[in-house]
Amino acid sequence: MAKRLLEFRDRTAVVGVGYTPFTKDSGVSTLTLACRAIMAALDDAGLGPGDVEGLATHRVGDSAAPSLVGPALGMADPTWYLDQFGGGSVSHAVVAQAALAVAAGVAETVVCYRAINARSEFRMGGTGRRLPVSPEVQYQAPYGYFAPPQQYAMYANAHMQKYGTKAEHFGRLAVTQRANAVKNPRALMRTPITLDDYLASRWIAEPFRLLDCCLETDGACALVVTTAERARSLRRPPVLISGAAWGGGDSHLSGGRADPTTTAAAALAPRLYAQAGLGPADIDVAELYDCFTYSVIVQLEDYGFCAKGEGGPYVASGATALDGALPVNTHGGFLSEGYVHGINHIAEAVSQLRGDAGDRQVAGAEVALSTAQPGYILPATSALLLRKG
Amino acid sequence: MPDRYGRPPRGVRPTPDRDSKDWWDRLAGHEFTVQRCDTCHTDRFPARAFCPACRTERWHWEAVSPEGTVESWIVNRRPFMPGSTEPYVVVLVRLAAVPGCLIHGGWDGDLEPEYGQAVQGVYADMGDDLALLNWRPAE
Repeated sequence: MAKRLLEFRDRTAVVGVGYTPFTKDSGVSTLTLACRAIMAALDDAGLGPGDVEGLATHRVGDSAAPSLVGPALGMADPTWYLDQFGGGSVSHAVVAQAALAVAAGVAETVVCYRAINARSEFRMGGTGRRLPVSPEVQYQAPYGYFAPPQQYAMYANAHMQKYGTKAEHFGRLAVTQRANAVKNPRALMRTPITLDDYLASRWIAEPFRLLDCCLETDGACALVVTTAERARSLRRPPVLISGAAWGGGDSHLSGGRADPTTTAAAALAPRLYAQAGLGPADIDVAELYDCFTYSVIVQLEDYGFCAKGEGGPYVASGATALDGALPVNTHGGFLSEGYVHGINHIAEAVSQLRGDAGDRQVAGAEVALSTAQPGYILPATSALLLRKG
Repeated sequence: MPDRYGRPPRGVRPTPDRDSKDWWDRLAGHEFTVQRCDTCHTDRFPARAFCPACRTERWHWEAVSPEGTVESWIVNRRPFMPGSTEPYVVVLVRLAAVPGCLIHGGWDGDLEPEYGQAVQGVYADMGDDLALLNWRPAE
């Protein structure tokens, strides 16, 4: 297996990125959002719908399927598609699988997209949402516990109790990411905040306050993936997919791996690094899934940037700021840019490696890590290691 | 912390699956059980057909004492479902009888839970055919 993974390294590239505006009410369908983001990504790549052979997305019953999007853009006969059920944990697996399809020659060019009206139509964290379909829910919902902010607050408190992680650590993260969003014209939240603002924000589920939680956003984002060879003849600097991994399977609630302070990312990280021949020290920029402040802190540990339990102090040291040792969530993340369920982290990583991230550009960025929901809620995760071509 | 806790939404009933229905029926009769593997005797929760340790299917319900320690908790400050009164607490308990297994429940204590605190289960009847399991400090 290892040999085949090595053969996959750097064979594919991201050559186009497209967005719709991020809003609280798009006023259009997710099908329309998907088409707009895809057309923008193709335009960025200098390609057209006729060049696309495959489409890939993930969704949780809340968005437009490839079988709708393809015909809507005049693609009568795509040679490959992926319609993955799942939330943030599979967001990067979608691109990883598209890259596999491209590397295997099944489709030369694939567009990955995620379109979501997460504020105006389908609120992940809001009152009144239908209960998710999962066998775990029966043991939780009768106690008034089912929403992601509750679940993540539970894990965050376990980390606080075990390792002494503090509210101020979460706050520093929120403040740092907001400072990045101030430099990002696409971001929804561009007013700077202070640690006092964080501490004064209202309680949601202790230990989480409002500013621990990501936005709920209407918007779409798309990425064009093709072979590294073809990428060299296109108009944008290619960004190579050096490593792509997904996995997991062991639950925090069964199967005997009941440590709520460690995620599936801890098991996935060594595979990802080996595949790319890179390690934490090689990474110039990290876009870490930030549905909540705590998820970044646990991933800093599980991806090996600091020791277990040290994620909070690592953030407080300033290491994750734009001028720190490891700039994290340079676009402001889901906390401040917008929440497109994972894909906008990959898009920002591509931007940083191309060098077109404007005021928030990390000088000399050559390697970026982008990650999915690290494996709470559903026990799976995925991640990409990208390299300047 | 608030002076007193509210209660979670009432009327959110569990939707047992075909593997777990018997577990809920036993809980309604105030019997707390886990699955014990007939082959390797490993206990497991929640209900699953296969033993993850030895991958065999034969098992039986084993009644165990609902005891454990507090692994984590949250204090809900906004209505995630209609019908709750905030703030209410949800605890995550590490079961004493089943190494490596965690269970969620309501909190039946007057003070905020503490990390590692020993707790015992309290059956809360929700009609004739359903009981939930809440937790309070062990005596």
